[in-house]
Amino acid sequence: MYGYYDPPFSVEQEGISISVERTGDKWTYRRTSGKDEVEKLILGDRKRIIINPVEPLNTPKEITPNLLIEFEKTLLLAGGEKKQIFLTFPVEIGVFISDVGDKNPQLIDVLSLVRQKFTLYGEVSNGVVCKHWKSGIYSVSPSLNPLQEGIMELTLRNTSSDWASISKAVFSAYGMKLYYDGDVFMKARMDILNRNTAETGFEIQPINGEMGYLVKDQKIRKEAFGVYGLRKLGFVPLKFYMGWGF
Amino acid sequence: MGLLIPQDIGFLDHGLYSTSLGPVTCGNLIKFVLILSLSIILLRVLTIYLRRVLKDRVSKDVGEPILKLLYYGTLVVVFISILPLIGIDPSGLMLAGGVAGIVIGFASQNIVGNLVSGCFLMFERPIKIGDQVEVNGIAGYVTDIRIISTLIRTYDGLLVRIPNQQVFTTNITNIVGHPVRRFEYTIRIRYSDDASAAIWLIKDLIDQEPFALRNPTPSVFVNDLGESSVNITVRIWAPVSEWFGLKTRLLWNIKKTLEENGIEIPYPQRVLHIKSEPEKIQHVIEEPKEQQFIENEPVLNFEERVLN
Repeated sequence: MYGYYDPPFSVEQEGISISVERTGDKWTYRRTSGKDEVEKLILGDRKRIIINPVEPLNTPKEITPNLLIEFEKTLLLAGGEKKQIFLTFPVEIGVFISDVGDKNPQLIDVLSLVRQKFTLYGEVSNGVVCKHWKSGIYSVSPSLNPLQEGIMELTLRNTSSDWASISKAVFSAYGMKLYYDGDVFMKARMDILNRNTAETGFEIQPINGEMGYLVKDQKIRKEAFGVYGLRKLGFVPLKFYMGWGF
Repeated sequence: MGLLIPQDIGFLDHGLYSTSLGPVTCGNLIKFVLILSLSIILLRVLTIYLRRVLKDRVSKDVGEPILKLLYYGTLVVVFISILPLIGIDPSGLMLAGGVAGIVIGFASQNIVGNLVSGCFLMFERPIKIGDQVEVNGIAGYVTDIRIISTLIRTYDGLLVRIPNQQVFTTNITNIVGHPVRRFEYTIRIRYSDDASAAIWLIKDLIDQEPFALRNPTPSVFVNDLGESSVNITVRIWAPVSEWFGLKTRLLWNIKKTLEENGIEIPYPQRVLHIKSEPEKIQHVIEEPKEQQFIENEPVLNFEERVLN
């Protein structure tokens, strides 16, 4: 389903149907997913529709830019160690409209096929609300449904001298960079600073070509347009400081 | 025309009054008014420009106090620096401030009180623009925190202006002060229903709700054995922006789901044990009869006595 489409077109997969049809002098965007139906009118010609995975923080309502991934099993990492693991994360499907040459993309629709749940990270008085996701821990990249889940390559680095017991990680959507092609991929890091604090962020990827491609494990992935990435917000930290434990 | 110009210049140099700094002319007074007016206009333009620039970058509750501080702070600096034009020495003003302060203080006690409270409200920030608060029995959204007063839009859409002194000195309940809040239901079921099944169904419904937070964990438990029902308490945490919608939606879903599964909410009821009336009468009559018989046995009965 992910890709670039020139109207008119119609695409259907896993109960999701997306189409753009000509109605008179206008274009009509239609999307159905279960009982959910969206219809929008597009005024303007020579536009392109881009369907790609986006940060999982837009549905059912955008109330937080933070994603908390809870590990199915607690991880123990020795002091000074650096290890790489694979996690899963929820995927949302974003539909963008862009000008010729994929310039000026604008989000027109976003949907999700996975269960939504929120949680609080930290104290009631000053914690942060996060989107919640429970993930298994994998040593090799798992095979997943790209319309529902993505793969996160997480590099854990314990900068302290003590053992670290890790059961969750929180990420800020502002730094997320998603890549896709057959699967959905994200590369992140988590630095354990001391017994209770850690810092998470996303790796800056080497990008090839005009469209932005990521070469990883001999696989070429395309860079996805992100909802948060399009926002020109100043003073927003791209890293997340985990001050209430991990 | 040629004669008028020197006359105009003369008018500007015309002395109005004299002070320790020298004579104050019409020109000085016009200069003072012009500089002050231009400063106000420029500061207003600058504030509007900055408000537009900061709109997408800084939240309103942070941007507005900064802009107000910039506006009033600059205005005060400009005002003090042009005071010599009207013959007032700012350093003299400082000396006179002691006496003048007392006089002004008495005269404008409330205004100064509101002004100081306004400053404290801006720096301490117990409430922010956009917060949902309850101040002195007035509940609504904070639309603006001004130097003298705070504006609240009630849930009915009314605009209420509360003096800052009142806001600062009374109890403020900030409904959105914390990122999450808890709400509670009491669900009553019949004694004949399975409370464990009801708890399981309610927990499952909570689990399906995205905004019912996973942590802090929701709690569902039998809290009370009431007169006519088993009372189940349901406590759920939700993001402050979503709690009301969730509360109204979930309660109806719980009611529907419980009914679908044969668990009903009982009407208030009282069990009465009524003994049948004839039995009671027979019992009452019989007892004294026996007793009377035993007691009266050695004595003559009424009829016998009458006859004798």
